[in-house]
Amino acid sequence: MAVNQNTWVRTLGWGVVTTGLYVFLFLYSEVFERLAHTTLDTCLVHNDSDPAYHHKTTPEQCAAEKGLFIEGTWWYVFAPIAVAFALSYTHGIFTGLFWDVVGLKARK
Amino acid sequence: MDTGHGMELINFIDITPTIAILLILVGFIGGMVSGFIGSGGAFVLTPAMMALGAPGIVAVASNICHKFPKALVGAVKRNKYGQVDVKLGLVLGLFAEAGVLFGKHVMTHIKHSFGAVGTDLYVSGVFVLTLAIVGGFVFKDYRKLKALDDAGQGEETTPITRVARWVQSVKIPGTMIYSRGAQAEISVLFLIPIGFATGFLASAIAVGGFIGVPAMIYFLGLPAIMATATELVIAFVMGLGGTLFYGLEGAVDIRLAVLILLGSLFGVQLGAIGTTYVKDSQVKFTMAVIMLTVLFSRFFYIPGYLGHLGMIEPLSASTTRILKWVGDGVLALALIVGAYTVLSALFKGMKAHKEKLAVLTRGEAAD
Repeated sequence: MAVNQNTWVRTLGWGVVTTGLYVFLFLYSEVFERLAHTTLDTCLVHNDSDPAYHHKTTPEQCAAEKGLFIEGTWWYVFAPIAVAFALSYTHGIFTGLFWDVVGLKARK
Repeated sequence: MDTGHGMELINFIDITPTIAILLILVGFIGGMVSGFIGSGGAFVLTPAMMALGAPGIVAVASNICHKFPKALVGAVKRNKYGQVDVKLGLVLGLFAEAGVLFGKHVMTHIKHSFGAVGTDLYVSGVFVLTLAIVGGFVFKDYRKLKALDDAGQGEETTPITRVARWVQSVKIPGTMIYSRGAQAEISVLFLIPIGFATGFLASAIAVGGFIGVPAMIYFLGLPAIMATATELVIAFVMGLGGTLFYGLEGAVDIRLAVLILLGSLFGVQLGAIGTTYVKDSQVKFTMAVIMLTVLFSRFFYIPGYLGHLGMIEPLSASTTRILKWVGDGVLALALIVGAYTVLSALFKGMKAHKEKLAVLTRGEAAD
């Protein structure tokens, strides 16, 4: 079955938007990781240049471990939620169109 | 792991290109199984993320996070076909939220007392137990359906159970709500334990539907198709809550969640297309086989955790490695079997359907 041009354009369009979101997330993955760990008080310790986030900490405990104490910001929790929503939406539309273009359809 | 001065280290795994590809692949198969069996395929994702090195709490939290927006999209779609009992879903979702919150407390308590390995043991234990029970029931169901199929009565709808009839007959003033799915009034008092247990299970292994769906069918009297659709509302409500609760504990790894999502969104639609070509009993069979296989992948890890926590004599490094290797092998096998079953059902079904259509078209042309 031939797929009309409009479907192709829409598939490509949503594909580009979705890819863009993934690229954005992975370019800034360290930022997202930091946001995830700092919804609560955190002690950032660098072991062999790898950052390690310790939870259940106090400024004193963190200083003893020669780490950087970061005060928790609870609303950072919305960062992964927003990303998950945005990606499900654009990616969901894209995959639906994708299988149409490929020609796999449910039995009528 | 508890570090000096009582601080806790919860590490996110390094995402190398190989790990990323594995996550996408696992997500794809998980999604395919999910789409094929109606809901709950995410049960293969928790052990897979753990096998790749994510601590139990992070695997569960990230799995819940990848699920809830997908559940919303699914719920909206199936609501268009009139399959969702929105009110029942929201009420059960509310009680499920309480279950998730309680379960998260259990998980964080374990994390504080035993560290990340403690959560590994907890998640694995609940996982093995749940899948053994649910897988056993699904297998029994399959045999019943198969017998009906063989007798030529496969597509018959099953009447509501005696328990459901009793539940619907209990009238407690001030607690009754009308369920569109059950087409009867049900007391909220019955919904509290169902919702709570669903949420609790979701907080432990990221899949609550194992309780929610059968409970709606057998205890409340909803048709199966409405139960799986209504479960999506519950999954959304408790998934959103679960992501918040676990996110506040610093346990949601969005990178894991989106890579799984990437594969899963392709898979889920393929699986859903697949179901339209097969019989109910085939779906049940696939589900039972995957469940009963995948539980062993976690089972083989448990001795290692117990040894690590000092609950049994610590195993030698080589024994732990062999057990881990066997566990991962079983997981890979379960995933391959799952993918093969769904894809072969889809392609065989499509081929048969095309041939049938061709015969019909020829017949019409001859007329």
